[in-house]
Order: sequence, then structure tokens, then C-alpha cells
Amino acid sequence: MTQTKIDGRAKTREIKRKANLNLLERLYLPEIFKGLSITFRQIFKPKFTFEYPDVKWQPPASFRGRPVLVVDDETGVERCVACGLCARVCPALAIEVVADETELDKERYPKKFEINMLRCIYCGLCEEVCPEEAIVMSKEYELVFTSREEAIFGKDKLLTPASKLKDRLEFLRKMR
Amino acid sequence: MESILIAILKAIIFILLFLTFSAVLTYVERRISAFIQDRLGPNRVGPFGLFQPIADVVKIIFKEEIIPANADRTLHTLAPIISLFVAYSVFAVLPIGEKLVIDGKEIKLVLADVNVGFLYILALSSLGVYGVTLSGWSSNNKYSLLGALRASAQMISYELSLGLSLVGVVLVSGSIQIDEIIRSQANVWNIFYQPVGFIIFLVSVFAETNRLPFDLPEAEPELVAGYHTEYSGMKFGAFYLAEYTNIITASLLVTAFFLGGWYFPFVDIYSGLNPNLSAILQVIVFFGKASLIIFLFMLVRWTLPRFRYDQLMRLGWQVLLPLALLNVLVTGLVKILL
Amino acid sequence: MAKITIDGKTVEVKDGLTILQAAQEIGIDIPHFCYHPALSIAGNCRMCLVEVEKMPKLAIACATRVIDGMVVYTQSEKVKKARQAVLEFILINHPLDCPICDEAGECKLQNYTYIYGPGHSRFEEEKAHKPKRVPLGPNIVLDVERCIMCSRCVRFFDEIVKDPQLTFTQRGDRVVLTTFPGKRVDNPYSMNIIDICPVGALTSKDFRFKERTWNMTAVESVCPGCARGCNVYLWVRNNQILRITPRVNLEVNRYWMCDYGRFTYKPVNSDDRIKNPMIKVNGELVETDWEIAVETAASILKSVKPDEVAVLGSAYATNEDNYLLQKFAKSVLKTKYVDFLRHVKDGDEDNFLIRADKTPNSYGAYLVGVRSNNGFGFNEIVEGLRTKKFKVVYVMDDDIVLNDEIYSLLDEVKVIVHATNKNKTVEKADVVFASASFAEKEGTFTNFEGRVQKINIAVLPKDYEPWMLYKPRKFGEVKPNTGEINKANLALSRLFKFGTQFDRWASGERRNVKPSWWVIMQVANKLGAKFTYASSSDVFKEISETIREFKGLSYDLIGDEGAMINKN
Ligand code: SF4
Ligand code: SF4
Ligand code: SF4
Ligand code: SF4
Ligand code: FES
Repeated sequence: MTQTKIDGRAKTREIKRKANLNLLERLYLPEIFKGLSITFRQIFKPKFTFEYPDVKWQPPASFRGRPVLVVDDETGVERCVACGLCARVCPALAIEVVADETELDKERYPKKFEINMLRCIYCGLCEEVCPEEAIVMSKEYELVFTSREEAIFGKDKLLTPASKLKDRLEFLRKMR
Repeated sequence: MESILIAILKAIIFILLFLTFSAVLTYVERRISAFIQDRLGPNRVGPFGLFQPIADVVKIIFKEEIIPANADRTLHTLAPIISLFVAYSVFAVLPIGEKLVIDGKEIKLVLADVNVGFLYILALSSLGVYGVTLSGWSSNNKYSLLGALRASAQMISYELSLGLSLVGVVLVSGSIQIDEIIRSQANVWNIFYQPVGFIIFLVSVFAETNRLPFDLPEAEPELVAGYHTEYSGMKFGAFYLAEYTNIITASLLVTAFFLGGWYFPFVDIYSGLNPNLSAILQVIVFFGKASLIIFLFMLVRWTLPRFRYDQLMRLGWQVLLPLALLNVLVTGLVKILL
Repeated sequence: MAKITIDGKTVEVKDGLTILQAAQEIGIDIPHFCYHPALSIAGNCRMCLVEVEKMPKLAIACATRVIDGMVVYTQSEKVKKARQAVLEFILINHPLDCPICDEAGECKLQNYTYIYGPGHSRFEEEKAHKPKRVPLGPNIVLDVERCIMCSRCVRFFDEIVKDPQLTFTQRGDRVVLTTFPGKRVDNPYSMNIIDICPVGALTSKDFRFKERTWNMTAVESVCPGCARGCNVYLWVRNNQILRITPRVNLEVNRYWMCDYGRFTYKPVNSDDRIKNPMIKVNGELVETDWEIAVETAASILKSVKPDEVAVLGSAYATNEDNYLLQKFAKSVLKTKYVDFLRHVKDGDEDNFLIRADKTPNSYGAYLVGVRSNNGFGFNEIVEGLRTKKFKVVYVMDDDIVLNDEIYSLLDEVKVIVHATNKNKTVEKADVVFASASFAEKEGTFTNFEGRVQKINIAVLPKDYEPWMLYKPRKFGEVKPNTGEINKANLALSRLFKFGTQFDRWASGERRNVKPSWWVIMQVANKLGAKFTYASSSDVFKEISETIREFKGLSYDLIGDEGAMINKN
């Protein structure tokens, strides 16, 4: 039987069916010892564990942490125009946007922008639908709250300067 | 009077010894399994996480105990007690060394020096199935019941081969008293006379303790947690403890019956030593060997996948049992002929 | 009659119809911007181009009249190309404003672009820039960039209200919609242009940016602003009405409503709402529960003899409320003094929609029996108050304090009042029943012509849940082929359906209010009557059985369009 490995190199190997096992193999015991020796050797291999609260994992740009609102570096105001598309697309109904008028050129801004982190499923659809690149998935994955109320993140927790989100913004441009 | 006092003292020391040992085992097993999977395992409580077992015990004691509404409350409570009781009773006849001499008095390193220790162990270990079956039945939960049924069927099947494999040992050693069996191996271990018996015994012991690859009674993917699905708090802890105690017993028995107990092969290091010193050495050697077997238990758990139920039964009845019978036959013949 | 074939369907239609109208009659919708059924035909947007056999070029369906034997194609390749071209052309200078545009979601341009558009743009140059956020008057803000010059708004003022207020200046891509120099758009019907504008060029100052269209639930109702009873939609989000728009009813208001009517939701949302029943304790009104309030009212009424109590119905309340009130007055309280107040603003009337009678149901109140019988009307009640004839005054859903004299006269009597908002009568009351506003209850109004029309629950009172609403409805979808959102089906927005008590966007205030007929039933039953109505439709059933004018009517018959009473 021929098997093609994923990396493209063809490799021919006999697959042993029950019928063509030899006596030694039928005894199982040697094979079991082989297995035991593999696991035994594994004990001394290097470990992959992050000792979490002491060592923190730095996610790659493609990571979808909690969604945040981008504050433009130049103007110092959020990019969001409160169009509500993120709220519409959100499959978990996590987002509430209440718009109001502003003197700025963008005319419209979110008077209230709340994401219920108990509802959010980190799907990133809000980021994808946003016409202003105003909501993006951050690298933040540590979310702790002790009440339902606390789990609703308002603008105070959501606003994040674009400079802190460089990785993700670049990633998004690349993937577009 | 004095002898009773000594017996009580011995019992307490034994129980404490085994309690600590099984607590340490939980830690060791978690660490080893972590290492095998390239993880670190518990390493936060105390140096290297050594106090983890203490934390676990404290936690499990303070956990809420839940008895399902439709469970049989008496049996539900009784079951873990039976399991634990049986697990500990087996120690009673297990010698872990020769004797200490204090104040000219001889203290044997065995709780009850009975001359049918071997039969006693076989008898008690089959009682263990009651704890499991009752827990499954009294929980009034289909998963528990299925787990219990599997457990009893499995234990009964493997007890046969277990007993028969020991007949070979008895034939070779010429005694059914455990310390005699050990002493008979002072020069050559039984494993060299009874290699087949050893393997049969080892496999059966795995099955008896419900360890992987024979942990069908608590097979998580199918039965949630098997017979102890409905247990929580210290009652669950009791089952857990019983499992680890059984592992220790099993390892000690393997050592005693096949690996020469406290003897090194082919050399006698104890003759001529101070009896106390030699007793201490003996205990260390005995437990050292048993620890290696325990390590094997763990290695197997993280190496072999679980059997299917029909495979388990076939192995028990169609392979091990005939093999054990054959082993007894051959051993007997050789005994007669030589 | 003309026999024509549209997309293979052959039909006979009246002479003189345009292709677009004929097509609509057989259920084929031809996309259009500038055509409006109530306005003259301008033919300037070219969106309605169709292919007609034997015509050399595509023809605009809105302006081409049907001829016997005509064969029309609305879906041919040529037509599709033409539509794409028209849309591309319109979009050349149309800003990418959808995210901040109030029209999005009910925008013809957006929907047509989605359905018929080319799907991409070839335009790379800078778009033309024009004034944005131009205040056109007290209620309207214009965004010239978004205007597609369909001239619907201009024609509305010219033709419907005959008060020209808007016009175009400049040409080509510099064209600008504007008022005449120094003038403002202040016609009392001006806000209708917001509705007919096919895009978001005209926006309401009041509603601007309040909410996206798809997040609101649209509920059919009737405007309570005057005796015309214009049909409307109430747009609700988080249990708050955010805007009112007209609902087409060719018999009543056609496509329009007045600006005043659009603000009749304000009292419903307002802070001075009475949110719980109240009773007077030591001269202070304190909130209580319904049980106690009803009990208190009953004990006050128990001690009075017939004709020691005056009962006032209301032209603001429904037929059902008024009917039960007069039944209660006549059969339980046994008083002859029953009347209601008229709120007529003489002179404030025109020959279009606005009526001088500023109440929605004075005719209905009169018909169901709240009327003065020779000498027992409101004037006699005031007179009776002066002569201390009455012990109790029972007022339903109205403010009877017309002057300071009545205000002080009320000190002498016990006052029981149903009220939605705080008012002068409430100040004098001993028992206040928190009354459901027109948006919080079901019932019927009878307009000045005698048309019975139904109002529905749009704002949920405390004991109502979304699923209990009067009929299950689908989330709105675009009618096939058209840019029109079927608003009747737009009802129950997603937010409304799936909110839980833990979502701030679904925990808008629910007031502990009840419809007046229910309250009257409770009080009457405490006084020994045996009223057993489970809903307002039960009351209406009795009205239709006992009141001659209402014979044969039912909620089903009234439906969304209303039904006339029997006048003979
Ligand atoms: S989609 Fe973007 S611009 Fe629109 S409301 Fe959400 S964050 Fe704001
Ligand atoms: S990530 Fe997904 S679930 Fe979370 S707010 Fe965005 S759209 Fe909603
Ligand atoms: S008018 Fe329509 S197409 Fe234009 S910006 Fe507004 S919603 Fe979008
Ligand atoms: S403002 Fe609206 S209705 Fe008026 S011309 Fe422009 S697009 Fe048409
Ligand atoms: S609708 Fe016919 S040209 Fe505008």
C-alpha cells in the first residue's frame, strides 16, 4: 500500500493487517515494551508548558482576543461612527451601540458602546464587518469579572490607541 | 495485653504508612503523566508541588457531598467504605520484612501472621467487587450501574487466572504462607521459575485494580465516570484512595510472589547483620522493588489505550485462563518428575 | 381597456395607466426613484427603464402609458444593463455614507444597488462635494451630497400642500437642493418629505442618529394627535418610541401625516409619566399596588349615593374604555352625570389632514354613550361642584382643570382619576390609576368621519412580554424586486425578540400601567358588578352587540385599515 505523506514525499510502507502478523507480533508483548520505552523516553524530553501567571503567552497577530475600539492616533477620538453594523452582525448579540451627533467630520459617534463579554464568542465578525476599521480583536485574553454587570464593557474599557494595536491592524491589511 | 498494644500500634503505623504512600502516589502519577505528555504537572504547592496531595485532601474533605435524590442512601454510603475496608484489610497478612528486636522482644513486621495468608488475600480481593457493584447499583444512575456490571464481570473473570497463576508459585515454593514464599526466593526469584505465571499475574492484577488498559468500569468517554459517577467529596476520595491502595498492594504482592520480596537475586546480604538493621534494609528493598512495579503501572496507563469489552473478555477467558491452567500442569509435572 | 403583456403575463388593464402602474397591478415591481403614486410624473431618474417591443429605445415605465397590444420586458438583458448604468451614474457622486446615514436599511438606493447594481465601481476621481448638515427648518436637516435630484420633495410642496418651499439651483453635478433665499421649510406637513425622499438626503432633526432602522420594531397604530386619526407606525426600541411615520391608508391620510402628529410619542416617553398607581396618604400621593388602589377607590365610591358622583370619560381614551366607563356609571354608580371634555382648537384646521378637534376619539366616546343627557353635562357638573352637590368626581384619562376655579373646587370632593401623565387633576386626586398610553394598550378609536381604527401595544407595560403581542410577525424583508421594505412585516426586531433581563439593550423601562377598561372592571367588581372581560376585544364585542352604530364590527373586520360605523 502506498501512502503519500503530507510533505509530498511518497513513502511505501506495508500496513500490517491482523492476518499477516508474525508470531512475535501476535504475542503483543514485544510491541507493548516498544510502546513503554517510547513513553519512558518522553519523560526526559523538554517541556512546553508556560508557567502561566508568571510567564505570559504573547499571542501572534492572528489571535482573536477581546474586541476593542480603535482610537485614532492623530485625532485622539475613536474611529467608530456608530453605524451599528457590528451589533447587527454579532451572532451573539453582544454589542450595543447608541449613536449621537458630533461636530467632527464623521458626524456620528457612539455615545454608548457596550460589549457584553459574557455574550461575546470571539468570532471576530464585528471586526470583519466594520467599515471604519474601528473595532479590532486585541491580544487580550485575560478577562475576569465577578458579576454580570462588570462583564459589560463600556467605552472606558474598550477604547484603545491604534499604536497599541499595530500588529493586528497590519495583519488585517495584509489579509484583506 | 502487651501483644494487643503492639498489634494496635503496628496497625496504626501500617495504615499511616499506606495512607501517606497513596497520597504521594497521586502526586507522582500526576507528575509522571505530565512528563510523558511534555507538561510540567502540579508544581505550585510547596517545593516542586510536593504539598499538592495535602491541598487535594483538604479540598476533597471540604467539598459538598451530594447523594442523588433517588439513590439508596445506606448502600450509597456503605459502598466506598467496603471498597476502602477491603483494600486495607489485605495488608493485614502482608509481611514487609522479617522482624525487629526491641528490648529482646521479637516484633514481626506483619500485622497478622496467619499461615493461610495467601488464601486470605485471594478471598478478600474478591470482596472488593462488592464495593464497586453496590456503589453502581445504589446510585440509581444508568452509567453507574453499567460501570458496576462491567467491573464485577471483569473482576470475576480475571480472578480465576490470578488464582491459578499463583498455584504455580505455591508449587514452586512449597508453602502458602507469604513470608515462607518470600524466604524460599532467597536465592532464585520465582520469576525465573514462573515467567509465564508472572505475566499472567501481572495482567490479571492490572485488570483487578481497574487500571488502564482495563479501566472499563470507569471508561470516561462512554460512562462519564462509571460506578463512582454519583460520588463527590470524601466518598469519592475513598474510592480514589482504595484504587491507589490496591495498586500498592498489587505491587507488593507481585514483588512478594515473583520478585523475591526483600531479597536481592543470587546474593544474601542479610545473614550476619544486626536483625534490626537488616529489617530496615528489607523494608527499603521491598518497597523499592514495589515502587518500580508501581512506576510500571503508571507507564502502562499512559502508553496503552483502553481495551474494548469483548477484547477484554476474550483475553481473560480464551488466553489467560488456558495459559494459567497449562502453567499449573507443566509446573506440577516438572515438580513430580524432578 | 388595454391588453398588454409584461414579462410574458398578458393582462387587461385600464386605459391611461402607465406601464409601471400596470405592472404593479399584476405584482411586478419596476424599480423607481422619482415616481411616487401621489405625485406628478417627473421622469428624471431613469431607474424605471423597460424594454417595449417595437420601440427603438428603452422607455421609462413611469411615464409611458399602456397601449393595446404592448409587449413589455422588465428583466431582459438590455434592461438589466440599463439599470446598472443608471445606478453607476447616480453613485458617481453619491457619498459612501451608508454607515452614518439614517436611511440605511430602508434606502431605495441602497436596496436597488444591492439588487440591480453592478457590484463594483469604476470611478476613481474625487466625488463632488456639497454642503452637508444643512438645517432646512425646525425639523429637517439636508445632506445635499446624498440627494439624487429626484425632485419628489419639490413636487410634494408644489402639488400636495401647494406651498412651494424647495427648489434646485445650478446644473449637472453642481446641482443643489435649497430653500428660497431667506426662507425656511416650516410647512406643518414638511416632514413628509423625509419619508418620500428615496435616499437619506432629508433627515429628521428629532430622530437623527437615534437608531438604525433594523433595530426597531414597527407597530401599526393610529396617531392620537387629532380627530383625523392618521394611520402610523410606532418605531420602538428598548421599549421606547423613537419615531412615528405615516402608514398608507388611502381612505384616511393617504401617504401623509402632519409634523405635530410625529411628536405625539413624546408624552409616552416623558419623565412625568405615572408609573404606578397612587393613593393619597396624609395629603401626599404615594405609589402603591393595584390591589390597594382599587380597594381605596371602591371604598370611596361605596359611601356615595347615586347622583353624588360625576363621571368624566375622555376623547383621548378608546371606545372600549369609554363604553365600560359609561356602563359603570349608569349601572353601578347609578349617576346621570356623565360627560367628556372636548378639546377643540378653533381655526387650527385645514382642508388637508389637520382637524380642529385635537382628540382622536371624541366621536367614539359620544357614540358609545359618554354624553350628557339634557342638563347633566360638563357645565352642570361644574355647577354641581359649586353647589357642593357631588362627593366624588371620577375622571378617566383627561385633565378637567380648565381654570383656577375648578382647581380649587376639586378640594371639596374626592377625586379618582386615571392618568398617563402628571397633570392638574392628578394633583387633586385621592386615587390615581396609572393608565396605559395609546402606545401601551389595544383598543379602537373612531375618527371624525366615523372610521373605527385599531391601536396596538407597542410599548410593553410591566406585565407584558414580547411574545404576548397581539400577533406573531416575521422579521421584515425586502419585497421581491423592489427597493421597498415591507414595513408591516418589519415588526419585532431581533433585539426585541432575543433580549433577556440581563441585556441593557432589552431592559428598557416597563411601567406598571393598565388600560382603563381593566381598571374600571376591577373597581366595578369590587362594588358588586360582575364584569368578566378578558381583553379589550371582549369589550368591543359587547359594544358591537349593544351600540347600534357598531353593529357587525369586530377587530378582524377593522384590521389594519379600519372600518366605517353604520351611520343610518
Ligand atoms: S461597525 Fe465599526 S463603525 Fe460601525 S458601530 Fe461597529 S465599531 Fe463602530
Ligand atoms: S467577536 Fe463576535 S461575538 Fe464578540 S462582539 Fe464581535 S461579533 Fe460579537
Ligand atoms: S442615501 Fe442610501 S445609499 Fe446613500 S448613504 Fe444613505 S443609505 Fe447609503
Ligand atoms: S432631497 Fe430626496 S426627495 Fe428631494 S430631490 Fe433629493 S433625493 Fe429627491
Ligand atoms: S421613476 Fe421613472 S424616471 Fe424616475
